[in-house]
Amino acid sequence: MTDTKIPVTVLTGYLGAGKTTLLNRILTEDHGKRYAVIVNEFGEIGIDNDLVVGADEDVFEMNNGCVCCTVRGDLIRVVAGLMKRQKPGQPAFDAIIVETTGLADPGPVAQTFFVDDDVKAKTTLDSVTALVDAHHVMARLDDSREAREQVAFADRIILNKVDLATPEELFAVEARLRALNPLAPILRAERANVPLDQVLGLHGFDLERILDLHPQFVARPAHGEAGHVHDEHCGHDHSAHDHDHDHADHGHDHAHTPNGSDGSDGVSTPADGPRGHSHADDIKGISLSLDRPMNGVKFTQWLDQLLGQQGQNILRAKGIIDVQGEDRRLVFQAVHMILEGDLQREWGPTERRWSRAVFIGRDLDEAALKAGFEACAA
Amino acid sequence: MTTFAFDAQVTSAHFDSSGAVFALGDGSVRFEDGVFDAVHDGAILCATVHPSGDGLVSGGDDGRVIWSRKGEAGVLATAKGQWIDAIDASSVTKLIAFSSGKTLSVIDATDIVFRRDFQHERTVSGVAFDPKGRRVATSTYGGACLWFARIADQKPTKLTWAGSHTGVAFSPDGAFVVTTMQDMQLHGWRLKDSKNLRMGGYPSKIRSLAFLSKGALLASSGAHGAVLWPFVGANGPMGREASEIGFDDSTQVTLISARTAHGRLAAGLADGRVWVADPAGQGLNFVKAEKGSPIAALALSPDATRVAWADEDGNAGVAEVSID
Repeated sequence: MTDTKIPVTVLTGYLGAGKTTLLNRILTEDHGKRYAVIVNEFGEIGIDNDLVVGADEDVFEMNNGCVCCTVRGDLIRVVAGLMKRQKPGQPAFDAIIVETTGLADPGPVAQTFFVDDDVKAKTTLDSVTALVDAHHVMARLDDSREAREQVAFADRIILNKVDLATPEELFAVEARLRALNPLAPILRAERANVPLDQVLGLHGFDLERILDLHPQFVARPAHGEAGHVHDEHCGHDHSAHDHDHDHADHGHDHAHTPNGSDGSDGVSTPADGPRGHSHADDIKGISLSLDRPMNGVKFTQWLDQLLGQQGQNILRAKGIIDVQGEDRRLVFQAVHMILEGDLQREWGPTERRWSRAVFIGRDLDEAALKAGFEACAA
Repeated sequence: MTTFAFDAQVTSAHFDSSGAVFALGDGSVRFEDGVFDAVHDGAILCATVHPSGDGLVSGGDDGRVIWSRKGEAGVLATAKGQWIDAIDASSVTKLIAFSSGKTLSVIDATDIVFRRDFQHERTVSGVAFDPKGRRVATSTYGGACLWFARIADQKPTKLTWAGSHTGVAFSPDGAFVVTTMQDMQLHGWRLKDSKNLRMGGYPSKIRSLAFLSKGALLASSGAHGAVLWPFVGANGPMGREASEIGFDDSTQVTLISARTAHGRLAAGLADGRVWVADPAGQGLNFVKAEKGSPIAALALSPDATRVAWADEDGNAGVAEVSID
């Protein structure tokens, strides 16, 4: 029996961000693994032991009338075909890597791995990794909705070509990336020289691993970085910091009260809001937290309703919820309207029991989200 | 009963004039008597019996269409850099149709230079000849297309229905085209007036369908039993309900196989069992009663007296059918 599902890594990023360079590294490094690579155009890749397959980005809507439930038909066909190479008792490949074109939306790719029975039975989506070009990404984020969505969708962002940008530029870029996506760690790289174990095997879509969700800490820009929020809680001398406010073309929109830290729920960590300089991007990440237990029924209903009404605009959502009367953590993740959730391991005896969630999406009403989330308190 | 343990996934099972034949994911074709041919460089993705009844025509992820007979194999066609995803053949006109990407190709088993290529807007997922072997139906996103197999320049007849269609079949009287869909339903069109038939209610994806009992019934997989739709009269199943045989809520039917001329139906289950039944008769006849991994390939012989199957672990078998 082949119980082990093959992990799939989706590699996204705008044209010229360095995807092919990274792919070439993955294929040529001496790792003894066997990969299947699904690409749109055959480039200079293709190594013994690996299989490179062409795909045509054939996106289709499911027939259920839900316009955001789109999947990639070519992936269903290709994955089904790849599974035929499986031998009894062993996986066909150590991993599958899907390279999307620079203009592709990663949403339908990710949804394919949750929606299609056959694909779901044989594979597991490991992560969506977005490569961005440190030198050009700001302009791309301004003029391309696809570029913003790729960043917003990612489990990990590789900030490539850092050698071509100044430290100030890097701070500004990272702040903006965090505002778009507070979940994804940012890895700096030159010529895509990141360790492969930080690209493959991330378990970014693994419910178990959502236990690691600490959006505030992961995403909080350090003092002195452009994304750092100074507000009345900050309590230090602002004059010592040189705020990077020189990219005036982005329309600064300073963040308001940090999430979940209005004092009333006991979370009073200063400046834990991930959004410093919002560049008025249509997409942003919103972190929510609550230190009181939640009513499980209320929360589920709220989440269902939210995804039903705004799922088209919600690209990714993840959360860990402390449900009243339940010793285990409720974890969930969503891609648009497709929701997956489960009760996972018990809270540790010394562990802080609190609920936290991150919603990444387009035109989200932060105040309404926060109110809805907190109204689920038991 | 003969059993086999293959070191590869089985793509499909068939019966040619010599007996059972299996097409495998390691690119080999295995005949029932043990004759082995490694014909494709990669996996076999689809296969059908050659129009002559002798041997198998297979399509692979190496972009080749290969005819394998015992001890010999030859390339009939290629689609460079693309996978051959679907294939069908007509014993009447001796034509072979296969798809690669958005292209449907038709070749002639009796004329090596004949080839027609027909383009679609979206990828072709299934191909099927009509009973006379003159037209080919293709399934694709948004519906099905009908092509005249031999005519070079033509516009297809489009049968539209929203959603992704993943496989296609003609009814034995040529009056209906039926597709399987990504959305766990069958869709059909009555060709004379393009009237739509919706056949839903399935709990999972439908991987196979087949007509039996001279076309009076359409059987399909995708449920806890084999689902049977009545296709008697000009209206087909319109306004009528399906029946289900072999219902077992602990498992699902992954594949079915049937022959138009006969009333027998074979079903392969997700728990590894295989049964044969006659919808007009009583009970199920388990030709493989022990459980295992899901059935991945299944075929009923043309005279409906033998069954060939394989599971996802490469275990395969051929058995005689005895129904009292």
